[in-house]
Amino acid sequence: MSPDGVTPPLVVRRTFAGTREELFDEWTDPEGMAAWMCPGDIVSSDVQLDLRLGGALRITMRGPKAAYEHRGEITALERPSKIAFTWIAKATDDRPTLVTVEFFARGRNQCEVVLTHENFPRPEARQQYEGGWARILERLADDRDARQG
Amino acid sequence: MNGVFAAISDPTRRAILTHLGRRPARVTDIARRFPMSLNAVSKHLIVLERAGLIEREAQGRERICRLNARRFREATLWMDGMREFWEARFDALEAHIARKRKARP
Repeated sequence: MSPDGVTPPLVVRRTFAGTREELFDEWTDPEGMAAWMCPGDIVSSDVQLDLRLGGALRITMRGPKAAYEHRGEITALERPSKIAFTWIAKATDDRPTLVTVEFFARGRNQCEVVLTHENFPRPEARQQYEGGWARILERLADDRDARQG
Repeated sequence: MNGVFAAISDPTRRAILTHLGRRPARVTDIARRFPMSLNAVSKHLIVLERAGLIEREAQGRERICRLNARRFREATLWMDGMREFWEARFDALEAHIARKRKARP
């Protein structure tokens, strides 16, 4: 739970082709991460990762106009089941949030990755993101379908 | 903002919000759409109203519910952006893995 006690965690899950070990290693390989930690108009990302409990994580995402720093500290490191790190960025009001990534074996050579992002700052600070009404509602519906399905 | 996230943490209440996002509805119509008693639906509506997510007004003998769009938007916008960020990272990771597999001899 968040400091204000009401913001629920955000959970994103996806099943990938690959073993838990393979997926876990993707999340702990700075070179590989640089390739998929490039959101939106980000041209390149630089990932530094001191892979040990308490080790530092720093991701610099470079866009055409600005660079965005994300930093944190590894709080759990249990190959191949779990990695957790704090996540501090402009998007979190420069306050520490917590990202936990868990890996579950699913069927033959499949791995479900469950990402939980929590300890969000207060929702009032969330105006910076733009999003359409319809999209928000679609999300809600998808979310509900996913829960029921 | 107190109570908003508690209010939307329940799947039935999210379904009610989704429904009201399309158009305002009578309490009895909402109740008809869900496999629960009118009383149970009313309780959910009270939680949503207290959180400021919906408004209820009397129209003759009927009670009409409508979404309080501004309030709802405030509550969901940030989380929506964050979800989008991680979903897109998962897409990119998927593509990354596929590329690696292809490159493998």
